[in-house]
Amino acid sequence: MSPVPVTHILFVSTALFFIGMYGLFTRRNMITMLMSVELILNSVNINFVAFNKYLYPGKLDGIFFSLFIITIAAAEAAVAIAIIINLYRSHHSIDVEDAGELKY
Amino acid sequence: MNAIIFSALSGVAMMFTGIFTTNKSAIRNVAVIALLGLIIVNLLHSYGIFVVRVNTHSMLQFETFGLFFNTLVFAATLLFVLLSGKDVTNAGTYGAEYFALIFFVLCGVSILTCYNSLLMLFIGIEILSIPLYILTGADKRNLKSNEASLKYFLMGSFSTGILLMGITLVYGITGTFSIEAMRPAVSVGAPNYGILEPVGLLFIFIALLFKVSAAPFHFWTPDVYDGAPTVFTSFMATIVKAAGFVSFIRLFDARAIEMGISWKIILPVIIIATLLIGNITAVFQQSVKRMMAYSSIAQAGFMLFAVYVNNDMSKEGILLYTAAYSIATIGIFAILTRMKDITFDGFNGLAKKHPVLAATNAVFLLSLAGIPLTAGFFAKYYMLAAVVKENGAGALWLVIVAVLFAAVSVYYYFRVIQAMYFKEGEPEITEVSGGFKTALVMLAVLIVLIGTFPSALLNWFYF
Amino acid sequence: MNWIPQLLEIAPAANTADNYLPIAIQLIFAAGFVAFMIAFSAWAGPKRKTSDKLENFTSGIASHGDARQPMAIKYFLVAILFVLFDVEVIFFYPYAINFKELGWEGFFAVLMFVAFFLIGFIYIIKKGALNWED
Repeated sequence: MSPVPVTHILFVSTALFFIGMYGLFTRRNMITMLMSVELILNSVNINFVAFNKYLYPGKLDGIFFSLFIITIAAAEAAVAIAIIINLYRSHHSIDVEDAGELKY
Repeated sequence: MNAIIFSALSGVAMMFTGIFTTNKSAIRNVAVIALLGLIIVNLLHSYGIFVVRVNTHSMLQFETFGLFFNTLVFAATLLFVLLSGKDVTNAGTYGAEYFALIFFVLCGVSILTCYNSLLMLFIGIEILSIPLYILTGADKRNLKSNEASLKYFLMGSFSTGILLMGITLVYGITGTFSIEAMRPAVSVGAPNYGILEPVGLLFIFIALLFKVSAAPFHFWTPDVYDGAPTVFTSFMATIVKAAGFVSFIRLFDARAIEMGISWKIILPVIIIATLLIGNITAVFQQSVKRMMAYSSIAQAGFMLFAVYVNNDMSKEGILLYTAAYSIATIGIFAILTRMKDITFDGFNGLAKKHPVLAATNAVFLLSLAGIPLTAGFFAKYYMLAAVVKENGAGALWLVIVAVLFAAVSVYYYFRVIQAMYFKEGEPEITEVSGGFKTALVMLAVLIVLIGTFPSALLNWFYF
Repeated sequence: MNWIPQLLEIAPAANTADNYLPIAIQLIFAAGFVAFMIAFSAWAGPKRKTSDKLENFTSGIASHGDARQPMAIKYFLVAILFVLFDVEVIFFYPYAINFKELGWEGFFAVLMFVAFFLIGFIYIIKKGALNWED
């Protein structure tokens, strides 16, 4: 059985990347926006692993890069959740439209 | 390497200082000692003495430029802590942790000045950014601070996503993360990879423009700088921004050719847009803090010249610019934290009541405006001279535009000076100690010294 | 656009539907497993068809208030800390695979990593983040 061509995997990862970007731009719920960011990072992970497996199977650079992305994404998510909880305590809402203190 | 290890360990040490003592002056003293140690180990590295020998597998590459920049940044942080250390511990509930986060930021800076692999670029930028999200939201009771933190986080993680997409495209085509291996001289005769690598580099380019807040991607800057506690704004606007430029220069030193001819066209457009938006919007601000945020965008425009042309003179220029801009901005923000009213009117009549504060503030503002005899003049001069040296008369129009915008910037810097010296008013100001005034005078003297003998600083660079 | 043939050359274009057979099998298995579990519990579970069965089950104190009450912050704190410590373990996988090749140098590197880990853990305990009782 011949393998799935790399272009198909790239298609999936590109689609995920732009779904994430779309979500970040259109959603107003902070948790959903955080999820969109994670989607972007994970699409890059898929890209790295696919490139590594298909184009440079001798080395493991791409896979290690995706390990670093996973851990750093976790750290980023922790900070983001802390920020969101803090905002929720003051606004009683997680809608970014309600956070309008800096608008003038 | 010394600096990276020692800054991370200092951060850990600061975390535990916060557990064992809540005495604020003790915390500050530990931070100052750790910073002094950091400067010393970095200088030791410059002379080839290592605390620990680590095989970095050529992921990091140490050059004089990066090491000297590290020293400069650590010294600026030391000045920052000496001047506004009290405000750092008073910004929120966790004094020691803020210092710990500052040390982690410095760790990120020292990675960014010597990275040789796109992996280290990514890790450095994240180590730099994540503590900053927390520092921006340090004032937990303040709504503005919280919102600025959220905005900074969303923008920052978005640009991280773009950066990663760029890195993955470059990796897919070249199969390596090393920026050194791809130097044009090495890759002569290598296959032409077509469009994918320039596109990947363009993504990285955009992400870095986000980080240094250049023009089309500057919109987060005023809000974040305005919302963050003023001490941390001064840290962000100076040290962190300069580190962003150094990472920029390192990457484009090696990879400029692969971007093709097009970036020589894109970059002047971005520089002019940055100067235009920064300067013109700063003119219309009412709050000095917000004006400083826009002026920091305008200064970023000048610093981008060092990315545009890449020769020895522009490297000297960026070092000088970092020193001049950091010292002046740290001084202005230190005075700003003492003001009750941070609009222009709040400065009315400051000269009569606090002549020392007004005089030093005037020196800092003159330096930012680039008036001769201050450090800011030579910083701008070196940048523009580097452009002319590289591109000859063809780039003269760019220089003329930059000088015109520098003239515009004089207007809004002088508004503060005018308010201080020529307007009547009762400025409300919290109590300032003698030590604070002495530190301010020291900074002002430093600015004039660099402005009179810029070669002294640069000679030190070449030892 | 000369990168496209390069990619295609490495992954030949033999692109028939059976390449996706494992994925399809997995999808079918996942859906089938869920359907089977639901059907099996419905079939095998005891059934008592009385009218009482349709009424709300009530016992003890009458419930009051909204179920969506704000939760104590310590749940979030523990959850976030769990995520952080859980994910960092990922760096052990490459070490576990290359355990022998990396030798003592790798061992010390991992030891340093664990030490940093422990420092973070001690910091959390000292800060009282894991104190469940106030």
